[in-house]
Amino acid sequence: MVDRVLSRKNKHRIAVAWAQDINTIGAIHRSVKNGLTEAIMIGQTGRINNVCSEHGIDSGLFNIIDSENETDSSEKAVRLVKTGEADIVMKGLVGTDKFLKAVMDKDHGLMLPDAVLSYVGAIEIPAYHKLLFITDPAVIPYPDLRQKTAMAGYAISMVKKFGIDNPKIALIGASEKMSTHFPYSADYAEMKRMAEQGHFGSCIMDGPLDLFLACDAKSVEIKGVRTPVDGDADILLFPSLESCNPFYKALMLFADSELGGLIMGTSKPVILMSRSESEKSKYYCIALSCLMA
Amino acid sequence: MVLKSLADLKDIVAGGPKKKLIVAAAQDQHSMAAVVRAWKDNVIEPILVGDKESILNICATNNYDITGVRIIHEPDTDMAVEMSVKMINSRQGDVLMKGKIGTSTLLKAVLNREWGLRTGNLLSHFALFEVETYPKVIAVTDVAMNIAPNLQDKIAIINNSVGCLIKLGYKMPKVAVLGAVEMVNESMEATLHAALLSKMNQRDQIKNCIIDGPLAFDNAVSLESARRKGIRSEVAGDTDLLLMPDIEVGNVLYKSLVFFARAKVAAVILGARVPIVLTSRSDSEQAKYYSILLSAAASK
Repeated sequence: MVDRVLSRKNKHRIAVAWAQDINTIGAIHRSVKNGLTEAIMIGQTGRINNVCSEHGIDSGLFNIIDSENETDSSEKAVRLVKTGEADIVMKGLVGTDKFLKAVMDKDHGLMLPDAVLSYVGAIEIPAYHKLLFITDPAVIPYPDLRQKTAMAGYAISMVKKFGIDNPKIALIGASEKMSTHFPYSADYAEMKRMAEQGHFGSCIMDGPLDLFLACDAKSVEIKGVRTPVDGDADILLFPSLESCNPFYKALMLFADSELGGLIMGTSKPVILMSRSESEKSKYYCIALSCLMA
Repeated sequence: MVLKSLADLKDIVAGGPKKKLIVAAAQDQHSMAAVVRAWKDNVIEPILVGDKESILNICATNNYDITGVRIIHEPDTDMAVEMSVKMINSRQGDVLMKGKIGTSTLLKAVLNREWGLRTGNLLSHFALFEVETYPKVIAVTDVAMNIAPNLQDKIAIINNSVGCLIKLGYKMPKVAVLGAVEMVNESMEATLHAALLSKMNQRDQIKNCIIDGPLAFDNAVSLESARRKGIRSEVAGDTDLLLMPDIEVGNVLYKSLVFFARAKVAAVILGARVPIVLTSRSDSEQAKYYSILLSAAASK
């Protein structure tokens, strides 16, 4: 992914809200040094300088804009992107709710009219044969049909940036069987019909599928289920934030995986990661945002 | 005491009286390998109820010498299930295991009002996972049985699971109630349940364990993540038991641990008169073997 970005030459400017922790600063430092981005850090200048010097990072590599609190730094970062002084906005140590409030602000935010705000992540899992894209681990608790449709569209658009023209999307459930016990069943049936009608452009969509049928060709064979996704999914669409969130966290902690991800539905790329995410994951997010910018 | 690996189950079972495992409709290639292995290890005594000829054929084909194992001939699968359940009720067995029958057939028999194994408790699924990057075995419930448990159900699920952990030797296991976030959010019912369960635990309405939640997955299993977020919790980073909000979440998590994290797993159904081994075709032989050990340990 990083290679793909670097091959594009043009450097993007990234505005970071409340850039005061080492994971954020470290990731930004790496992307500036590697020539991916230029950076504008917004936060308490003294604190940023201290963190930099503690870790031997030259704070002269960044533009620093002073700000006294989380809300103010979020608003400033969003405004820089809105006015075209930056291309990408990123969340630092600020809480997700405060950051998103600035992004979603009707007058000063980055929302596209009538757009669904959602999240698409790309995970690199050693035990899987390719990058796996997931949605939505962070924003919409229980997506309805309109939101699921938007999520699928966002994920497809991101995957296509990676040169995959006919991605396979698995609509994830607890089982492959349709059941009135599971509220997602009806939505999935509708989405499959929309996919057949070309609503999502070129793609292969099937569901409900459990994780094995989506990602493990051997399970597909054992169970004898016929699905065009065939254990080779590029994208997993989850029925809820509750199921997607622990999924990626378990992979990161127990399966040695790394995640990059972006908010979708905004006019410019928005990087939002859990404050506890590693520097490496944050770096991948930055690379991904450059690809989408 | 805390389990470091699933292999520890063998020591626990070997340390107690030998348990009788009744296999209902035992003419099942997929179960027999694990049953025979546990029997050879001298940790359980199997009683095979089912079609004797098929059972012997399977054993002959696979070179299992089961000389000395009791076989009760009952060619009709429904009758074999009924007989197995009734044997449990007359205390001829300590653990029930599903053979070549559908899960629903077995559960229907277990829940039969006249001769089943009801105790008044909710039945729930309990699984143990061994992953390389967590310093101990982690229990997860309920990933397979209860679709969308309400608060009352969750209390019953915790009680079933904590009871099982105590039989395995745990004292005051740490229970994390999983949420997508660690803040109580009124639009996410699981976080409300988590807060209520934590408080009920503090007030001794749920005993013998320490409950905290909501905890997101990373905070539940990683102290570093919890610290970075400034979460103060006795459970964070040191979870013994992870309570799932619903089956959708549990199912995905269970499968991702098995498939992507190469986890070893053991599972049992709790809440009936005896533990029930209810594995599926796609489980590995090792998972079935560990599930037999877990069930035997849980039947103490």
